[in-house]
Order: sequence, then structure tokens, then C-alpha cells
Amino acid sequence: MPEIKVTPLGAGQDVGRSCILVSIAGKNVMLDCGMHMGYNDDRRFPDFSYITQNGRLTDFLDCVIISHFHLDHCGALPYFSEMVGYDGPIYMTHPTKAICPILLEDYRKITVDKKGETNFFTSQMIKDCMKKVVAVHLHQTVQVDEELEIKAYYAGHVLGAAMFQIKVGCESVVYTGDYNMTPDRHLGAAWIDKCRPDLLISESTYATTIRDSKRCRERDFLKKVHETVERGGKVLIPVFALGRAQELCILLETFWERMNLKAPIYFSTGLTEKANHYYKLFITWTNQKIRKTFVQRNMFEFKHIKAFDRAFADNPGPMVVFATPGMLHAGQSLQIFRKWAGNEKNMVIMPGYCVQGTVGHKILSGQRKLEMEGRQILEVKMQVEYMSFSAHADAKGIMQLIRQAEPRNVLLVHGEAKKMEFLKQKIEQEFHVNCYMPANGETTTIFTNPSIPVDISLGLLKRETAIGLLPDAKKPKLMHGTLIMKDNSFRLVSPEQALKELGLAEHQLRFTCRVHIQDPRKEHETVLRVYNHLKGVLKDYSVQHLPDGSITVESILIQATAHSEDQGTKVLLVSWTYQDEELGSYLTSLLKKGLPQSTA
Amino acid sequence: MTRECALLLPGVCAALADPRQPGSDDTCLEKLLDWFRSMTEFDPSVSLVQDNPCLTEFITSILALPEPSPSILSFTLRLAGILASSENRFQHLQQEKLLVRLFGVDGPLSSTVWEDASVRSGWVEGVHSMMHHQPALHFLCNGGGIDVIFALQGDPSLFVASSASRLLVHMLIFSVESETTKPFSAKDFDWPVCARMIIKHIEDSLQSSSASHVEQSLKLLTSLFSSCHSRWTEVLWLGIAKQIESFLTDETVQAQRMLANLLLNMAWSPVFCDSEGGLWALVTSALEHLTPVQVGPLAVGILRLYKCPQDVRIQALTVLLQPMDCILRAASQPLEYAGLLDESVSDPAAVESLLSSKSSCASLLCQTLAHLEELLSLVYLRVDLPYTSLLRSLMTILQFCNGFLSPASPLGSTISRILINCFRVQSSALDVLAALSERKGCDTLIGSLFDVLLAYLESPNTTPTVLKKTFQATSKWLVRLHELSCSTSQWQQTEKILADVFLVLQKRLCSPCWEVRDSSLEFLTVLIKCLRDQDEFRQSLLSSEVPRLTENLLEDPESYVRASAVTAVGHLAFITFFAPELPVIGNQYNKENTIAKLQEILSKDPEGFPRRAVISMFTKWLRQGCTGRMEDTERFVSRVIQAVEHDLDWEVRLGGLELVEVFCSQTICQLGLPRCSSVPVSSAVTSSIHQNRSLQVFCRAKLFSFLFRSLCDCDKPVGQRACDILFALRGNFYPTGTARDSQETGELPAGHGIAWLQRTLRQGSLAQNFPTGGGNGVDFEDPESMMLALGTIDLEELHDELNRSSDHVEKSPQSLLQDILATVGTIEENEADCY
Repeated sequence: MPEIKVTPLGAGQDVGRSCILVSIAGKNVMLDCGMHMGYNDDRRFPDFSYITQNGRLTDFLDCVIISHFHLDHCGALPYFSEMVGYDGPIYMTHPTKAICPILLEDYRKITVDKKGETNFFTSQMIKDCMKKVVAVHLHQTVQVDEELEIKAYYAGHVLGAAMFQIKVGCESVVYTGDYNMTPDRHLGAAWIDKCRPDLLISESTYATTIRDSKRCRERDFLKKVHETVERGGKVLIPVFALGRAQELCILLETFWERMNLKAPIYFSTGLTEKANHYYKLFITWTNQKIRKTFVQRNMFEFKHIKAFDRAFADNPGPMVVFATPGMLHAGQSLQIFRKWAGNEKNMVIMPGYCVQGTVGHKILSGQRKLEMEGRQILEVKMQVEYMSFSAHADAKGIMQLIRQAEPRNVLLVHGEAKKMEFLKQKIEQEFHVNCYMPANGETTTIFTNPSIPVDISLGLLKRETAIGLLPDAKKPKLMHGTLIMKDNSFRLVSPEQALKELGLAEHQLRFTCRVHIQDPRKEHETVLRVYNHLKGVLKDYSVQHLPDGSITVESILIQATAHSEDQGTKVLLVSWTYQDEELGSYLTSLLKKGLPQSTA
Repeated sequence: MTRECALLLPGVCAALADPRQPGSDDTCLEKLLDWFRSMTEFDPSVSLVQDNPCLTEFITSILALPEPSPSILSFTLRLAGILASSENRFQHLQQEKLLVRLFGVDGPLSSTVWEDASVRSGWVEGVHSMMHHQPALHFLCNGGGIDVIFALQGDPSLFVASSASRLLVHMLIFSVESETTKPFSAKDFDWPVCARMIIKHIEDSLQSSSASHVEQSLKLLTSLFSSCHSRWTEVLWLGIAKQIESFLTDETVQAQRMLANLLLNMAWSPVFCDSEGGLWALVTSALEHLTPVQVGPLAVGILRLYKCPQDVRIQALTVLLQPMDCILRAASQPLEYAGLLDESVSDPAAVESLLSSKSSCASLLCQTLAHLEELLSLVYLRVDLPYTSLLRSLMTILQFCNGFLSPASPLGSTISRILINCFRVQSSALDVLAALSERKGCDTLIGSLFDVLLAYLESPNTTPTVLKKTFQATSKWLVRLHELSCSTSQWQQTEKILADVFLVLQKRLCSPCWEVRDSSLEFLTVLIKCLRDQDEFRQSLLSSEVPRLTENLLEDPESYVRASAVTAVGHLAFITFFAPELPVIGNQYNKENTIAKLQEILSKDPEGFPRRAVISMFTKWLRQGCTGRMEDTERFVSRVIQAVEHDLDWEVRLGGLELVEVFCSQTICQLGLPRCSSVPVSSAVTSSIHQNRSLQVFCRAKLFSFLFRSLCDCDKPVGQRACDILFALRGNFYPTGTARDSQETGELPAGHGIAWLQRTLRQGSLAQNFPTGGGNGVDFEDPESMMLALGTIDLEELHDELNRSSDHVEKSPQSLLQDILATVGTIEENEADCY
């Protein structure tokens, strides 16, 4: 029975780093190649040695697909392609291909900034890796090889994020990557057609959460920023160069405009320009509102947000600064934080997750006295806020996507075990499909029952209905015909039509059998005795004695010859067609019993 | 363990054991285990568990939980294993019966949590950690734990299964090497109990009808023979050799691939490769019996061996070359046999059938080509490779792939139909082709080889990835072509080929695809680096449109391309305006123009790559002495420093410091400080003048302001580099022991400023903050002040401070414990939210 195998190397019951191996109809595909930012050693990458015990990765894997540019989905890619040695094709959408290297480069810079970092990819490796990437458009069917095809669908979440359908023959898998079923300020909602895959591999970050309205969170955020600025404080927002930063920029920009605020907003990194350039370039990937207003005014050309200079941090008065990196663990954002931390009028807003050990993690968990380098103690008096703007589908959204795609099986990844368990039961109850949630390293096998559509010729259908009842969708009906497999389609037609269509002549298949009977008479006399015997037994059949000395019963032909060594034995050669198989067998057994004496 | 950590630990243990608390971040638990591992690794004493009773209390409380969370239970198992890694601590834990309750049959093994892979994984890892002394071995073997490990070899989790296999190998080696009492004897070897149990298990599994059991044992043996090279492994082998030999011919056993791997690992072991134990006969038989796909890794592995009978080597090579032989035969006319091998080891029909099947042709060829590339990368190859035929076969494959060859033979036409546009095979073949260029002996085909390469370079069907590989192969063969034309004086052919290459390069430089433009520029840079001394090359290049197009690409919209263009233009300069004799055709190249363009990129390009490329090119120019006379160089460096010192990209600033470093050493060398001078300088006066001249140059170039400010850079590597340079400068200006006492500085005119500078730097390197407003009275361009600064500022202290890992706080165990404690009671949502 055909089967699909799924083994997560990452994202199996966790949200660390996505890397899922799928085996479908003899093809092996790697879905995402993410990195875990919580480790400083090789544990940050998936353990690729498990992909194949023998042989080269490039020979084993047919392709790698990257769902979006977040590092927990693409961060290990340069390591995999340039250091581990995978040299095969890599697919991602156009925006992901454009933005991915910016984030990888950003992270590389932060990582090698630290001492003792080895075994990390270089800028050249990132470039070489990106050159191997084949970019795909939404809804474009890409033929990886003759059998394997992939297709991208819009996933929301971040610019360029896509869900991928992987198809071999009539078997298929859909991998959602991270997705969002509700449109946000600059992106639309995920969408997929009713493709009925054998398996839907879905993220489940918010498996048990029904997210409060995004508007509330936005209002909260703006209120906090506004209050701080009003009382003359400074607001630091540590971000990664791309993604959430753009969303927050739009939010502040419109708010500033509406409220006619004057406090400056700065973006500290030189990368913004490029990031905004891509947001402009890939305008078709944003939501309808942005696309509509694009002609009059580009949402990403910010009037209030200006480039930051290091000197500005010391300026008096209120300001808002976006600075990288997002976890306050090095570089510019940490430098500004040190300057502003001691003033209770100021505020830092952490818009994303921070790994253990970073200053971001420490202040989020409430630590207010931080030991910095040189045993200096930094007292944090500024306000610390956490604002989640993660664009993942919540439980309702996940169910909605399942309803849309109608998969035969569901497999949950990228979430916590407990929450997944809850959602798994809900899915199984509501949709009556199997739902799996393998841990990392565990293989889930799904047996598929590929349904193959067959067209039936009208002639055959008419003939069959003429002899039987009218077709009924609920009752299976037996049909006889010839199956033609041609031009990637299957058709059931009548044998005659098949012969005609394919230009073939029918072969006549005849069965033969020799029956020995004891009869010392001449051959023609034996034939006559046989004729009379058969005529007497087979009254309903046409038995004929032909001039050449042979006998026919319907299509059955009987000829007699004397045995070469024993003249007293006659050999009857019986031959019949396939259609008269029953009569032929009967006749042979009859003759084997010998001829009755009375017919002499 | 520090006192602070010892104080924090009980709280952490209590928090982890509290089922009401949300589970701690997995990375925290991992890092906690790392910490315990580092503490126990070299300390077998019991003090860790004795002084910190909270550890055993933690284990006890986890065992008392009715439903512990799988992740915390897994953590506990691993922690207990680490603690039990020394005999003393093992006994301590045993006294409280903790290990039995954790690892015994009544522990998690028999509860429902065992269904969770992380618990099983924790159990195996825990056992592995403790398996460093005999009591642990006996504890496991007597308590039935070993059967659990046998079963876990077939675990549905890949991680658990492979850990179990590794554990068994470790136990077997440990058991034999720690428990054997009698001296080794091959005839009468007395296996210790635990080893005997494992060996019995291996033997039983090998005879089992279950393919997975056979596979597990083969895996175990492979890993054993690769990690242990003791003589007892041969005794073990002799007991199972017959059984394993039978697998080679028994087609019902699907373990051939594993078998090849096993044999290869045995061949690497000195125990087997030297003995008469029949390994080579088995390898020979494997080379004959395994399918072409299975045999490849074995064959290439054999060829890498140092010790191996020559006939086996030749056989391995023959097996490896078979697909290439088949390709050559398929491409030739029926009567004209032009294969690559005189005879074959196994049935050539098997290779033919694989090559004529759509599903296997490309994969067999890719595998073979990858092996050949590996072989060509070896410095010492102990067999002769038929280079010419190999090259011919590669060219044939490449021609099949682009449809330039469709032979009449049925096999040939089938293969060519399958391979057309197969980019995987193209890539692999081009990799081998590049590697082959370094081997001499295939020069007769060089002309036709370039026909093939040029066809690829020209074809619009060549994908960017394949094109990049074609460029790589072409550059290597162009170097080879040049060497050849030097020896044969066949300049005409070389010139023709070069002209064709530049013609196609012109087109590729204008490609709409950035990957292609970038690879073209990289190709050009490589060519200039390798061939810039050759007249024909220079002439062909400079008479083409390539230099002009390259310069245009400095304004490419793609930053990667701009950066590559900068590097290419920088290298082009070596053969145009920096060339000792300016070529006649190169006189249209305007040095000032180009330098101005690059300087503009350095100060204005919105992205880091091009700016980094410029600074690195400038440094290269400076190193090669291309920046002109001393004064010109001084002006040049000064301009560069001004452009980079406020760059947002720390790697550009770092590049600037590299340039400064080169400039300093060149200046000092030129102006002749005692260290560089060939004549010993006796007079202090002369030395001081020389010093002053260098110092004046450095001050005029505004070098000190850049260096001192860099000490406070928010990015660590910049500060470190600046400190290194200042350190070196002080070494030059102040011979050992002559540095000033900082006490004295206050009395000097510039003293106030310098004292301020020292204070600022001390705080600044910590706070990463150099006042933006200026130097508070410090004149960075005044030689006297700077001499004083170099002499008085405590660079050693700064150096040590800067060289401390920037994340030492982040990585410290105390910080980890504090973080875990601080997380207690925080909102769970923060944990789940990801990026």
C-alpha cells in the first residue's frame, strides 16, 4: 500500500526550529531548514546526520522547500547547503528569496560579533546558498522533476510566506509553514483551494488560543507609546530588521499622522531602506488595502520615521527608536538600552520572543538588576513591556484551514505537545480524520489509498444501462470494459471501441487438447462415430460433419488421426475458442469417457 | 560551584519540581545539564551531591509526582545519569535507591510516560552518562536494563534508536576493556558477562528472520569496528563472519548497503586490514555481488585506504568506473569500441540496465560522479586513473545533457533522451571536470573540451547554478590551457579560446538574472587573479567589452552584484592603471575616476556588502603598494578613515582598521624604526626623529582619533582590533620598559586631556560609549599628545577587558540559574510566542 512518511527533525512538538522530512511516492523533500536561536553551539541546527544513514544528502533529497524568511524556518539553510554539503535544488517564493539573505546576514553579524563563535556560515556562503535558490510564484506549478511537483499558496504571516503543496502522481501533502487566517495591517489572510491532500502538515503555535482581537493589542501598544512620549520619555523597540518592524512602523506612522504628534521616530538600522524597498517591490503580496492605496501613497514611504544616528540617543526630549537586534543581546539596541535603562520615564517594548541568557529575556522575566560586562550592575528603572504581534493562526483559524483544504489526514507541528494534544482531539472529532503529532525524530507513516479517476465512454455506459438498472450513485455497479491508459488519463471503453481506437486487430485465442480413444476402425469411421455420438448428446447445438472430415460443434473443431505407433488408437484433436471455453471443456471430458458401443 | 550558584540552586530545583509551574524552556534545561556535565567531568568526588542535597531531593520529588511532565522527567533521568557518572556519587544515589527507581523495571519504564520519546531518550542518555564504572554496568545487566536497550534499538524515534545503539557499543567496549581479567588470547578469549550478553544478542539478531534486527546488528557492528581497534574485535568477528558472508549472496536479506558500510569500516581498522582474517576476500566478493548503486561508497572508500592489496584497489576502481565506461560505449559507433575499461568485475548488463532506466540513470551517474570527484580530491591516489578516457566520458555526459550528442546506438539514444536538461547530472559532471583540470595527462582533448564548455556558457538553457559550475570548470581549465600553451607555444588556440570566453562573458554580464551577473563577475575576478601576468590574457581581456561592462555593474541594483563588481574592478586595476607598464589598449582606464567611484560607494552605498568589498579592495591595493608615494598614500588612507569611521556596518569599520594596520606597518617600515631597520640604530636621537615622522604621518591621517574611538565601539571585534593596533604601535614607539608612568602625565601640558581620555576609555569600553561631542581637550592630531596617550593609557587592561567573551554574562551558570528562577510565575504566553 502506498505510504507517506513524515519525520520532523525540528518542530516536532516544539517551536524551536522547523525541519520536516517528507517521503512521498519515493521522493524525499525537506520542509524548512530552521535554526534555534537559543543555543550557541551546533545544537542550534537540526541534526542532519539523521536524514540518511548512507550516501550523500544531495542524492537522497529531491528538494528543500522554505516556507518563509523567519530564521526558525530558514536559518540553517546556508549551513546545510554550504557546510553540510547539500547541493540540490531549494525552493522559496520571490519575496522570501529577496529577504531571507538580509535576515541571515543580520544574524550572522550578531553571531560572529561574539568571541569564540566558530562553525558559522559566512557572507559568501549566504550568497552562494541564495544563488542556488529557485524562486516560485504563487499558484505556479513547479516541476521539480518529471514526477514531483510543488505549488505555493498565500499564507499571510509575513511578506512572502507560503504554504506548499507537494504532489507526486495522485498523492499529495500540504505544508502550511506559519500562517495567519486573519488579515493584518499589511498582509492578507492565508488561502488554499479545496485540494484534498492526503496529508495536511499544519503549524499549531496557538493550538488552544483564540487570540483577542488584534485591534485591542494595537490600541494597547499605541497607548503605551503615546503616554511615554507625552511625559517626555524615550521608547526603545528592539526588533529584527524585517517583518514585525514594518508592521509597527505602519502602525506608528498612521498614529502619528492622526494625532499630529511631533516626537521623532527613528529606525536605527541601515537595513530598513532595503527592507522597505522590498515591501514596495512585492506590493502584490501585501493586502488589498495597501495595494489599493499604493497609487496615491506608498504605505512604506514613511513621513515620520527617519534614519537614526548614534548621536541622537543622547538628545534630550522624547523619541521612539527601533533598533536591532531584537533580543537586546549585542549591538545598537543594547547600547541604547544601557543609556536609557536608568530613567523611569523611558520604556522598552519587546515585540517578540527572547532566548534565555539575553538581556531581553532577563528584563521580560522581571529582573531589574542586570550584571553587565566587567561586573557592572545596570539598574533597570525604565518600564518594560511585552507586546506580541505574532501573526499565527489561532485554533479557529487552523480549523478553518482544514475545512478549506479537506485533507484526509492532519499532522501538527510547530507547537507545544500539550496544546497539540487538545487540538488533535478537536480535529479528529470534528473532521473524522486521523491527526498525528510526532515528536522530533519520530516517523509517522500514513497509508494512502490513491483514488484514480477513470472516464467511461458514453457507448459503454449506454450499453451497460440497457442491460441493467439505471446507475445509482450509492450502489456500486460492476462494469465490463477495456481500460485505456493514454495521455495521463484513464478511460473505460468497450473492447470493440478500444480495438478501434488503438488500431489493433483482435487475436483469436484457441485452446487445444488431444483425446486418445481406442478404436481399430479407419479414421473416417471413427469420425463418423464421434459425430453421431455428439449429435445425440448435444441436441441443442449445431453439430456438423464437414467435407474435409472434421467435426464442428459451434466454434469447436474436432479432427481425428491414427496414432503413429499404434493404429488401434485414434487421436482426436479438439480445439475451441475462449468464448466457448465451457463447452470445449465439457466436450473434452465427454470424449475422454470414450464412445458408446451402441453407436457402432 | 560558586557560592552564588550554590545559593541559587535549591530555589531552581524547587521551581523545576513544582508541577504548578509552567514547564521551563527546553534550552534552559539543556544548558543546566551542560553545566552539571562540566562540573562532574573531571571531579569524581561525592561533594557535589553531598554539598547540594537539593539535587537528590529534586529527584525524589519528581519520582513522587503522580504524573510528572515528560520533559522534566527526561531531564531528571539525564541529570541522575550525569551525577552517577562517578562511582562515589553512584553509590550515594544508590543508597537512597534513586537509581533503581529511575532506571529499574518499576520506574518510568513501566508507566504511561514511557510512551513519550523524550522520556525514553532521557533514560538512554542517563544510562550512557553513568556507564563509566563497573557498578553501573552490573546495575544495568543484573537489573534487566540491558534488554530494554536491546528493545530500544528498534525504537520508532530515530534519536532513541541511535542513542541505544551507541550505548550498546559503549557498554561492550567498556565491559571488555574494564572487566577482562586474563591477558588477551585469540583462541581462548573469555568474554565478561555484559559483553557476552551483547554478543549473544548480536549473533541472535543476525540469524533472525527480521530484516530490522539484522540491520540493527550490522549498524552496531559498524559503529563498534569504527570506534574500537582492539584485537578482541577480531575474535568477535570470527564468530559471525560466516553469517555475514552469507548475506552477500542471499538476496532475501535487504542489508547490502549496510554491509558495504560495515566492510568499509572494518577496512579502516588496523585489526582487520592487516590480518589474514579474510576481510579482503569478503571485500572482493562484495565488489562483485553488490549492485552498482550499493557498491559505489565501498569502492571509493577502498580507494582512500592507505593499506589495501593492489588487486582489490584495481577492482574497486574498475567497479567505480563502470558507469563511465558504459557511457563511452553507448556513445561510440557499434564497431568502434572505445570504452574505458579492459574488463569488468561484475556484469556490465546491470549497469546498462540502470543507465537505461529513467528512474535510476541520473542517480547512478550523480553518485558515480560524486565519488570520482572525491577520488580526484585525494593527494595520493594509489591507482592510475585513465584521465583521458575519464575526460572523454565527462564530455560525453555533458553533451548528452545539452542535447549536442544523440548517438545511434540504442543504449546511447536511451541515455541521451533521459539525460537531456538533467541539471543534477550537469552539476556533478562539471564538478568532476573542474577537479580533473589539476591532473595532467588529458591535454589532447583540451580543444574539444572548450567546445563543450563554451556551448554551456552560451546556451540560454543553462541554469544559473549550472552556469556557475561551468564558470568554475572553465577558469580551472583556462589556467591549465595557459600552462600547456607555455610548453607547446600554441598561442593561437589559447587566444581564440580566450576571445570566445570573453565574448560570452560580455553577454552574461548583461543577464537579467542577478545570480548570473554575479557568477560572471566572480569568474572574471578568479581569472584575473590566476592569469594577470599573462600577456595574451591581458590583451584579450582589455580588447573586449568586459572591463567597461564590469565598471557599469558598480551601479547594479543588486548589492551582491555591486560588491562583486567592486572586487572585479579592483582586480582589473592591477592590469590597467596599477600595471608596471600601462598596456597600450588599457590607457582609457582612468585611475582617478575609478578610485572616486569606489570611494563614493564606500561612503554612500546603502548596503554593507559593496562597502565591505571596497574597503577590502583598498587594503589589498595598499598591501601591494599600488597607492602611490608616501604622501598620496597618506591622503588616501585619511580619506578612507573619514568614510568608514561612522559606517553603520561594524565589518566595514573593522575593514578600515585592517587598512590602518597595513598602513602603520608600511609607514614604520619605510621610515625605518629600529625594529625594521637593517642597520642597528644606536642613537636615541635618530630613533626619536624617525618616530616623530611616523607619528606625524599617523596624526595627519587622523588615525588616532579613529583608533581611540573604536576602542569604545558597540561591536566588540572593532574594539579588539583597535586595541591590538594601538598595542603594536606602542611596542614600536616605546621599546620595552620605556612607557611612561601615568602619574607623570598630569604634569605635562596635554596631561589633562589624556587623563580624561583614559577615564573615558575605561568607562567607554564597558559602556560602549565614546562621547559624540569631541575629545574634551584631547588633540588627536597632535603627535606629542598621542605619544603621551600611547605611553600612559593602560592598554593591557583594556585589552583584557575587550578580549573577554562578550557573552560571558549570558553564558554564566549564575545567569542561567537567575533566569530560571525569574521565569517562575511569568506569563506562559511569552514562552510559546516565537519570532
